[in-house]
Amino acid sequence: MPQFTKKYQYAQVEKYKEHLELQHLKLKTIIINLMVFFISFVVLYFLIRLDVPNNATIPIMLFFYTLVIINIIFYSYDGDQYNNLRIAMYINTMGLYLATIIIILQFQTPSVFTSLFIAYAITAIYQDYKAMLLSSGMLFFSGIALLTGYSDIFTLVGSSSPQEGFIIAFLVIFVLLLTLSSFILIKRKTFFYNQLAQIKESEVRNMKLLLAIERIKTKKELDSEGYYDSLMKFSSKLSEKLDIDNVFSEKIQLLKDSRKLSLPDLLGKYPSFTKDEIKEILELELETHERMKMIGIKASKSSDVVVDRKEMFSEAQFKSFKHEGDHHYIKIISFAVFYTMLKTDKPYFKSLKEEEIKDILYNSEYYYRIDKKIINLYLDNNEVFDTIVKDIMGGE
Amino acid sequence: MKTLFNRIRNSEFLTFNEVLRLKVVIVTAFLLLFVGLTIPISALLSFNLEFSINIIVPIFFIILLLFTIITVILNFNRVAMHFSIYTMIGLTIFHVGGANHLYGFILFFVSLTIIIFYQDIVTYIIYGGAVTLYGSVYAFNSGGELMGILSTSQDISVLTYQIMLIGFYSIFLIQFILSDHIYEKLNNEWVRMNKILEKYQDFSLQHLNEYTEKEKLTPIYKNNKFQQTISELAVFLNEFYEEDGEDIAELVEYYFFLHSQDLSLVLENEGASEEAKEFAQQLEKYFLNKRTELTSMLFDFSTLFIDQKADFKKDRYEYSIDELFSTKTNKMLALAILYKFLRTEVTQFDKWGNIGKILTHDEISELFVSKEFREFISFEQVNFYLDNQELFEKYL
Repeated sequence: MPQFTKKYQYAQVEKYKEHLELQHLKLKTIIINLMVFFISFVVLYFLIRLDVPNNATIPIMLFFYTLVIINIIFYSYDGDQYNNLRIAMYINTMGLYLATIIIILQFQTPSVFTSLFIAYAITAIYQDYKAMLLSSGMLFFSGIALLTGYSDIFTLVGSSSPQEGFIIAFLVIFVLLLTLSSFILIKRKTFFYNQLAQIKESEVRNMKLLLAIERIKTKKELDSEGYYDSLMKFSSKLSEKLDIDNVFSEKIQLLKDSRKLSLPDLLGKYPSFTKDEIKEILELELETHERMKMIGIKASKSSDVVVDRKEMFSEAQFKSFKHEGDHHYIKIISFAVFYTMLKTDKPYFKSLKEEEIKDILYNSEYYYRIDKKIINLYLDNNEVFDTIVKDIMGGE
Repeated sequence: MKTLFNRIRNSEFLTFNEVLRLKVVIVTAFLLLFVGLTIPISALLSFNLEFSINIIVPIFFIILLLFTIITVILNFNRVAMHFSIYTMIGLTIFHVGGANHLYGFILFFVSLTIIIFYQDIVTYIIYGGAVTLYGSVYAFNSGGELMGILSTSQDISVLTYQIMLIGFYSIFLIQFILSDHIYEKLNNEWVRMNKILEKYQDFSLQHLNEYTEKEKLTPIYKNNKFQQTISELAVFLNEFYEEDGEDIAELVEYYFFLHSQDLSLVLENEGASEEAKEFAQQLEKYFLNKRTELTSMLFDFSTLFIDQKADFKKDRYEYSIDELFSTKTNKMLALAILYKFLRTEVTQFDKWGNIGKILTHDEISELFVSKEFREFISFEQVNFYLDNQELFEKYL
């Protein structure tokens, strides 16, 4: 059965991930362009030292600066900056290889051939799947093309044959290892973007869960009427103190009315506000909207959160049922408790059916939080698990 | 092979140690192939060494590789990583003595590639730096042999080789620093968010405990049928590891017994065996009566079913009043509501560990001026609050 690990991923995560990636993509674009700028000066130095004529020097230099200018344009254009910078990334990747090939053909020496590795190193900074594949492909094929079409480049003074076979073998090793290395690195980085985006979403949902559990315990809602009465008094005294008209009272009244009236009715009753203005005011409402309650909860819990450097790179931060060093008994018991809890009614969460549990455990990251042998044993024998729980727990 | 590919494909879910192990396995496989293919051939090439050395050298590399394999089997992955790097550096030193100097020089790039593959900045600085230095010296000493037939100047040729190698090393060093910086920032934010999430879950759990007490319900971990179910499931799973299920059944009993004990006293108890103490420590992560990894994962699991259809709005994870509201009056009302929320809602633990405390005016003032609170209110709003705090205290 195919596994879809993203089946139970929060749908909101992707957009936020893009937002996170954009911040880093901007920094990488700047660094790479600075490098291109610096490299252009190194190339210019060699061109001058080797007395290369101006009609060959100028196009090479123009090529470098065109790349930088294209990047500046993409960077400065505000609309959809994420995709703009990604286009700039592909242009840079191809452009750098093109510039390198032009330089290799200009000098035609084995030492300049190694500049292909420099092009690879620069594009590796992007740490992006597609850029990595593009770069690996360009390195490999341009290397092969140069070896087969311009074998004189690789012939050394004291050696009769250039031994292309060895160089091709090295190219394969180089591309394979670095691609694999980048692949693992990108996967782990993407995982962190994912985790961070997921935890932001998880925070919203945990706050909602907390509010729901609090309601179960207290069996009462927040007293919004009390809030608005206090706000009325406060705003009137504040206006007096500041010696201004009470500009707040109409909005507070609107908030009170919003619990009974629909948006079109509110628009009719408060013609001085536009639809968007009313929507913004409604974000302050405490019964129909959760925004202010969420800010309140988060604000009440945000003090005294200190992150120790040791905690940052600790495996212990990942909650799981397969901690290294734990006896296999512990891994078994913890999973058994977790599984049984999922099959038990809780005040905040009803029990799940066997098929639901199996599907989630198989198609979500929980699959990787459980010891591999144990999760596979469960997946192969889930009916036995189900029977044991039903036989003993019955309807509980 | 299939397992290896699967592990690479899902490498983001592996622990740091597991990823390192995976990398060592890949590098060792590559080195085995490399030694197998190149060392016998090298004996036929004209090395500046005695033929007897060409017999000792393969044995030396085989021993090094054996060490690497043994350390991987013993799970000493970092040691194995060092051995694999020594092997590659050894191979490079051996091959640069060969007849084809370009082939030897490219090996410096291959060595660096293997060191890069491990993605460990300290290892890269030390070993990578040494390889780069040696490669630069080699280019200087073997300038004549490394010169291409189309090269016009030996000095320029040597300089180009050196610049390419140093450039390659430096660019990857920048990539390492950048990658570490991004990784550290992401990790820091993730750990901080994890801690905040745990705070919400602390409160959720406490609400549930208070609810259970108020409603005179029996906590699930005291339910005999629940305990029996866990025992049966654990014994069933353990059958795939060992025949005797007595030990694990006893451990399940011990797990539930520990729920009613003060763990610190158990660990200090001189009469308790070391094994019992170790199991107690390992089990603590999965207790049901306090906020543990298990309870957190249960809460997280239940949030999969909250807000499933919510759209992603750009401000979904925004908690700053300044960013959320556009007009001064709305911002002021939001600030007043936030103050009122903190001043009237029970959001803190009291001295007995129950959720029964509200924040005082002074505590709120302290929070408002704290650095952490810039996430919610701006300096301008803090100043407004400080100028009018007597009204906040009296009317909200």
